[in-house]
Amino acid sequence: MDEYAVINGRGAMTVFETYIKTAPERLWDAITDPELRAKYSFGVRTDSDWTPGSHYKASVPGVIDIADGENLEVDPPRRLVQSFRALWSDDVKSAGSSRVTWEIEPVGSSCRLRVTHDQLADNANSELYGGWPMILAGLKTLLETGELLDTPGSLRYSQALA
Amino acid sequence: MDAVFKALADPTRRSLLDELFARDGQTLTELEERLPMTRFGVMKHLKVLEEAGLVTAQRRGREKLHYLNPVPIRLIHDRWVSKYAEPLAATISGIKRELEEE
Repeated sequence: MDEYAVINGRGAMTVFETYIKTAPERLWDAITDPELRAKYSFGVRTDSDWTPGSHYKASVPGVIDIADGENLEVDPPRRLVQSFRALWSDDVKSAGSSRVTWEIEPVGSSCRLRVTHDQLADNANSELYGGWPMILAGLKTLLETGELLDTPGSLRYSQALA
Repeated sequence: MDAVFKALADPTRRSLLDELFARDGQTLTELEERLPMTRFGVMKHLKVLEEAGLVTAQRRGREKLHYLNPVPIRLIHDRWVSKYAEPLAATISGIKRELEEE
């Protein structure tokens, strides 16, 4: 299985995983619905029409642009592969494009969600992938309890808007 | 959450996580070379860490690479630490905003 091939020497990769007691369709919605997504992603919404090859943009409109890229593979409710270009600072902008793969696998009455962020430079700025544990933990809490996290990161941009 | 605490209760397993924190995506052989442990010992401890969700294994060709998965630790943080971290982080982002506005 060579799904995560090294391309152009950009080989560094990180993998984050969590089990969430929910249905795959509900999990897919939470990832692709801009309003739901914002609830566990520092207030950042991700807008796209979610067709294969379409563009997406992650931002807090009027406040900050976070990332954009292309939806390389869209296979609801199982698999989403996106190119990822970070936009929140000059430093991360200079990192260019990497790749994010979302995989949902039903396990009993739960789902295993795996987010693989690869095609990163070997000395990649840890800001590029450092937010994933917080995002995945927030997503799990939201879907399992219906409650929002009040962790600092999850409130970051909603406070900026207030 | 019990499995996470049990996995973290062992110093050898914590040193395995330290290894992966320093260099993510190592094979069993690489970990065995770096730690004063037999191959069997590393396998046994990796299994406990995998079952607790603290280590995620990915196959790449014939190799099995091990990655530190911090999500379970983040969930522990969210449960007990978040409310204490909040004022500090709010202060930091407030300072940052003020500086940027100047």
